[in-house]
Amino acid sequence: MTKKLDPNMVLDVRKLHKEFVLHTVDGRTVEALNGISLSVSAGEHVALAGTSGAGKSSLLKSIYRTYKPTSGEVWFQLLDGTFVDLVGLTDAELATLRGTQIGYVSQFLRAAPRRSTFDIVTKSGIQRGMDISTAREAAAIALKKLNLDEALWDVSASVLSGGEKQRINLAAGTISPPRLLLLDEPVSALDPSNREAALELIDTLTHQGVAVLAVFHDIEAMERLATRVVVLQHGVVGYEGSPQQTLAKLAGVAR
Amino acid sequence: MNPIITPDWVLKVDGLGKVFGPFTNESIAKTGSDCGTSKDPSTGSIVAAWDVSFEVAAGEALGVVGESGSGKSTVMRCIAGDQSTSVGSVHLRNIDGGNTNILHMSASARRQLRIDQIAVVYQDPAEGLDLRVTAGGNIAAPLTAAGLRNFGAIRHRASELLSRTEVPLNRMDDVVRSFSGGMRQRVQLAKALANRPPIVLLDEPTTGLDASVAAGVLDLIRGLLEEFGLAAVVVSHDFSVIEMLTTRCIVMNHGRVVESALTDQLLEDPHHPYSQKLVSAARS
Repeated sequence: MTKKLDPNMVLDVRKLHKEFVLHTVDGRTVEALNGISLSVSAGEHVALAGTSGAGKSSLLKSIYRTYKPTSGEVWFQLLDGTFVDLVGLTDAELATLRGTQIGYVSQFLRAAPRRSTFDIVTKSGIQRGMDISTAREAAAIALKKLNLDEALWDVSASVLSGGEKQRINLAAGTISPPRLLLLDEPVSALDPSNREAALELIDTLTHQGVAVLAVFHDIEAMERLATRVVVLQHGVVGYEGSPQQTLAKLAGVAR
Repeated sequence: MNPIITPDWVLKVDGLGKVFGPFTNESIAKTGSDCGTSKDPSTGSIVAAWDVSFEVAAGEALGVVGESGSGKSTVMRCIAGDQSTSVGSVHLRNIDGGNTNILHMSASARRQLRIDQIAVVYQDPAEGLDLRVTAGGNIAAPLTAAGLRNFGAIRHRASELLSRTEVPLNRMDDVVRSFSGGMRQRVQLAKALANRPPIVLLDEPTTGLDASVAAGVLDLIRGLLEEFGLAAVVVSHDFSVIEMLTTRCIVMNHGRVVESALTDQLLEDPHHPYSQKLVSAARS
């Protein structure tokens, strides 16, 4: 199924619902997303804000299809300009897109254990269509950009600190710019100087035309990176606007 | 079908079913996940697998998960040709462009497929290897079956394969019976890869090994799948194995596929009551 939409748009989420049916708990249902609609264009960085449980991570996971949406549509623009509804794709098709055009970086490293740092990042490049030598070069550049100590490159990532893992995650997710980058607290464990390098990297990608949909814990990062802020409340879009408009309001609530 | 993102299958299984004993439509209706059994109450026949369909592309690993007795291994054995199949079809891209149902091929033609098209790695190395024969000899078998005759060339290729699967070459001429469990699995892997088959079926490849040995074998398998761009089917009840090796999964219960999902989705958002039970048991 394909469709023509606004050519600048990379992602167009329409009335997305996600409900969990917990068969192990008397078939109880839990509503995570209640009909979310939002879009992200190329070169736009949309920050998702809202309290815990508002649905920020659930939205990212439902787009990436780690959660299978209950209803609604997620239109994504392919390289040839046509749109596909990610909700309706087969698992195999979605797996292809994940490897090549849709990046997802969470606060936790998901890579297999006993795999070296450099290997994880290189593998990600190969998955995105690079040949081995290009991927190795790109991996080295990405890891250097994020100040990851070269002594750790051949070390199994599972023994590294949370902050180091996050940088590996970011390097792997951004080694070759995807069309759509989903970020879920990607810098939460980083110290100020490494955090700065990571934010810089994300900002550069946005300027290169990547569509970014991100969840950041801190308002400062949103202020710095977002072109638009969407505030979620109880699984729906509460309000949205420029960072100036929305973040003041958010900060007001926080205080 | 989208030509940009729909991967081309190498192995396609369609409506595969295996019943031990005579069966009728009623046998099918009275068994399965919803009925909580795979045994037909009136005839006593076992519906080990029914209506199993999936596709696997090159470089892709599909997981088959479920409890013991759910039909996972039956599916694998039907594809491999270790077992006759009751209904359904299996197609290989390399065989007649995928147009032939290999289940209809002769027994000898099916055995041919095992030489260079479909490799199998069994949980029990005794099934995949001749334990009375040396490691080199075990690997020589598929090579000679594929037409390699020169002794030196066979030995060279066998040593290449054994070094790739990290078996010390000074053990090449020892009988496999003298090997540890982990080492036997490595020899099985070397044998499986001997003729560079496009498809490999792995049935609980690390089950029963010590944790540290299993980890090493698992790392090796992951590396081999990536390096050779294999289309793999990984049968396992162990979610850590599934998570590490596969991108997609099917879940089987009482002979039926109750859910198919991306592996991360199965782990974080399982839908079927049985999958939820299975995942929560594995994760808690």
